[in-house]
Amino acid sequence: MVNTNTQSRLPLRPTHLIDQDKQVSFYFNGQQVSAYAGDTIGSALYASGVRIFSRSFKYHRSRGLLCGAGRCPNCLMTVDGAPNVRSCTTRVEAGMKVTGQNAWPSLEHDALSVLDKMTPLMPVGFYYKTFHKPKLFWEVASPIIKRVAGIGAVDLENYPKEHSHHENLHTDVAVIGGGPAGMSAALAAAEAGARVTIIDDQLNLGGHLRFDGRTHRGMHGMADMAGYEVAAALRGRVESVRNIQVLSDAIVFGLYEGNFVAINQRGKVMHMRAKRVVVATGAQESPLTFDRNDISGVMLSTAAQRLMHLYGVRPGASAIIGTASDHGYHVARELLDAGVRIAAVADARPSFPSGLDAAQALQSAGVLVLPSHAVARAEGSRRVVGGVVARIEGGAVTREERQLDCDLILMSGGFQPVTSLLQQAGANLKYDAAAGATVPADLPQGVYAAGKVTGTRDAHVSIMQGRLSGLEAVGGLAGKAASAQEIAAIRDAVSHLQNGTREKITTVEPPIAPGNGSKQFVCFCEDITAKDVAQGVDEGFEDVQILKRYSTVTMGPCQGKMCHRQYVTIVSNRTGASIDSLGSTTARPPFLPVTLGDLAGPAHMPRKRTAIHRVHEAMGAKIVDVSPWLRPHNYGDPKAETMAVRKAVGIIDVSTLGKLDVAGKDAAKLLDKVYTHRFSDLRPGRIRYGIITGDNGAIMDDGTVTRLSEDRYFVTTSTANIDVVEEWFKWWMAGTGMCCHVTNITSGYAAINVAGPKARDVLKKLTSVDLSSKAAPYMSATEAVVAGVQTRLLRIGFVGETGWELHFPAEYGEYMWTTLMDAGKEFGISPFGLEAQRVLRLEKKHIIPGQDTDILSNPLSANAEWAVKFDKPDFIGRGGLLASQKWGMKTKLVGFVMVDPIVPHDGSPIVLAGTPVGRVTSARMSPTIGKGFGLAWVPTRLATDGTVIQISVDGRLFTAEVQNAPVYDPEGVRLRE
Amino acid sequence: MAFLLTCPNCGERDVHEFRFGGELNKRPAPDAAPETWATYFYTRRNVAGEQKEWWYHSFGCRKWLIALRNTVTNQVIKTSWPEEALP
Repeated sequence: MVNTNTQSRLPLRPTHLIDQDKQVSFYFNGQQVSAYAGDTIGSALYASGVRIFSRSFKYHRSRGLLCGAGRCPNCLMTVDGAPNVRSCTTRVEAGMKVTGQNAWPSLEHDALSVLDKMTPLMPVGFYYKTFHKPKLFWEVASPIIKRVAGIGAVDLENYPKEHSHHENLHTDVAVIGGGPAGMSAALAAAEAGARVTIIDDQLNLGGHLRFDGRTHRGMHGMADMAGYEVAAALRGRVESVRNIQVLSDAIVFGLYEGNFVAINQRGKVMHMRAKRVVVATGAQESPLTFDRNDISGVMLSTAAQRLMHLYGVRPGASAIIGTASDHGYHVARELLDAGVRIAAVADARPSFPSGLDAAQALQSAGVLVLPSHAVARAEGSRRVVGGVVARIEGGAVTREERQLDCDLILMSGGFQPVTSLLQQAGANLKYDAAAGATVPADLPQGVYAAGKVTGTRDAHVSIMQGRLSGLEAVGGLAGKAASAQEIAAIRDAVSHLQNGTREKITTVEPPIAPGNGSKQFVCFCEDITAKDVAQGVDEGFEDVQILKRYSTVTMGPCQGKMCHRQYVTIVSNRTGASIDSLGSTTARPPFLPVTLGDLAGPAHMPRKRTAIHRVHEAMGAKIVDVSPWLRPHNYGDPKAETMAVRKAVGIIDVSTLGKLDVAGKDAAKLLDKVYTHRFSDLRPGRIRYGIITGDNGAIMDDGTVTRLSEDRYFVTTSTANIDVVEEWFKWWMAGTGMCCHVTNITSGYAAINVAGPKARDVLKKLTSVDLSSKAAPYMSATEAVVAGVQTRLLRIGFVGETGWELHFPAEYGEYMWTTLMDAGKEFGISPFGLEAQRVLRLEKKHIIPGQDTDILSNPLSANAEWAVKFDKPDFIGRGGLLASQKWGMKTKLVGFVMVDPIVPHDGSPIVLAGTPVGRVTSARMSPTIGKGFGLAWVPTRLATDGTVIQISVDGRLFTAEVQNAPVYDPEGVRLRE
Repeated sequence: MAFLLTCPNCGERDVHEFRFGGELNKRPAPDAAPETWATYFYTRRNVAGEQKEWWYHSFGCRKWLIALRNTVTNQVIKTSWPEEALP
């Protein structure tokens, strides 16, 4: 058991997130580790003495905590089977199993760290330059590289199997970032009556103010207090306001058009639609560029502050602080208070800031403060054991060096506004030389920015900007508005303050240490060094966008947060182009990595079931997924089901068929227009088959049309195409003023097809209506009461037997089915499913659009010329079909019968002289002729009866003969009995 | 694609409630040459700018509407029933 080292924990402070009275334990690489409630995995491991948190991507260098804020790649670990978890912002939960990644056999001793010795073989873009000759090189190297690449791995046995959730949220004002600016914006907007949501990625609100111990004088009616007290005060106010919703530990990973905010919060993705968005994402501290600036023990100064002030962890025993502004001094003083020895403060600015309290305090404590100095290199192979500082002259770091022992080097390279989300939303950026930062400009409508993201470094200004943004955001939202005067007054106050503070804050561009830069890391995620960037420029990649793609800089998990500034600076230095003119790389979602599992969400696949579904299940049907429906494929013996229909009677659930009610005085006109057949002359009570084609004459769908009365038709479509057909009918009416109403009644009616020589006998038991062929001939419709239920009986024959399709209200589904089964028992009735139906209809050469046709098939080539009435004045597809007739068709749909004793697959190719020239669309074994048979597209010249064709089945050729007559009852006698 | 579209019947909705129905194009006369029909059927103007287009509110009222949208910015300038927008 590794105990949280109580010697490394600091006394209790009000800023702490941990509860030292509650212990939690978890496992790290199999060993139990003790932590406090509120610890993150990172803080607990650091407190217990762990210093190597990961191995870098390319060179497997030993990496420790760097940012401490979930923004860099260094702390990524596998937690309970989930790889690449940001351990420094993930709270410890009891029993968690945490393991290191990308290292073998251990993080401390990683075999692949030998790659770090081979860096000369891996210059920038090396994979574009190697593995070409001989070609064998790549074939050998590729599988090895694939195995070595990447950081985390998915444990295929132990990955988290719970599906992620998705939520849809709405809000008036979304505030991204819960620091002082964000909280102020939220409070102002909420006061004006808006619904507000704050989304913040840290574990509590307050941003950097949470660990800011400097005194802030009299902010907005508050007494002089420390930064963290200001944060607590704002937090308290936010929590007390009812219409502010707070989402903590939540990352906005994308800001899309229409103010669509994509949020990821531990196994949940939220799609939020906001009327207004305030972006208050603050500023990110930058690293410094010196030799070996990436090894464990080198971290951002704010990372040390987080360890001390949030988690009570002493970051080390002795430290060097490199700084380019006052900030390093504050941190140095805090380290001193925490019992850390300060080896030196290296200030890149020319003179000692005598007016700064913290500087005075350090000096009184005898700390070595070195103006005009920078860190030149870190010493130690896997961890910092010392550092070298060097004097700066003329803006460049010299070789006048001084070595100091230490176990911690803090980098305070300045703060860069985190503008990514604003860029995603369409804002531009401009380089503000006075602020030394790239700041947002030209914000799109409905998007506002406040706080450090705008370039300010003053908490007063941040709070005022937040308030201003909150009030501006609310303007234009119904019923909530701030007065124009108030907004103008705040705007004045903000610019006044900004002008005042700008003179006070002094910062310089941190210098880059001398040397060829081969061990000066710019991109920690991808192991890109200053030398790599410089070399890329020398090779001709002078554009930051292109060099990014060539080198992969900024393309790792941190998406440029750690490296963008240094990257552009080096390119600027190397090319002489100004930072402003170089611009920025494009910021794209995700802002921070999101797992595919979270993006996929609940994997919810809705499936429709007919009203009779439960009875099918009870009868032991094998149910298949024919998206979006679940349907019975068979009830145990499809061959027997087929024979029952031919010899006795069978019933099948066809409730899935599309059904449309088409009514109005122009109903006939509409149908004549969209079908190839004519329906205006259909007598009431009669049914006609119809094909719908597109303008090019290609088949869209087929179905039946029953005329109910002068102004009313009942249309059926195929199961798969009902939505398309409904849209199509409505589109042709749109804007024409046609008096016709199309209503989708598919789910309102259930439908059962009763088919077979005994079908009439069964129905006679349940209805008194005359179903003789005289009274109810083939292709006629009858309205009758069947088994007490008002039913429409359509005498049609998809399966080729005497039969009726019964349509009746869906709530009677189960009742009708069981009643029919009971009534049919004496006649040998059997249920039949999709498989039997397929065989039966195939024996009659009844096509299924989509199965036997594709998007270019037309009725002329698909054996349905009889359904096309060219003498109609106009219909959709007439021109296409006439053209097709004129130009001739290359392929035709024919029936075939196998000569060889085999049944081809649906899709088997038709082969002529070794070339595929067509394909089988449907094939089965025919119970009638005892041979394989089906439908196929063949070249037109092969489409005549008797032509021998070759079919390729599983790589071998078999012989068949074209036979255009259906194999069963070609004259259709049975249908009409 | 995440913009909002105002259905004249149902109000402002997420664009994913709708199915895009193509550019608004003038239909050739029935007896026009096949080449004219082929152009109408297969080619698109694909303007970078304001475009009149069809949308079907499939997850709402299931009616067709016409939108005027800027294809570069995805700003929807206006939506209307077909009767109002068709020439």
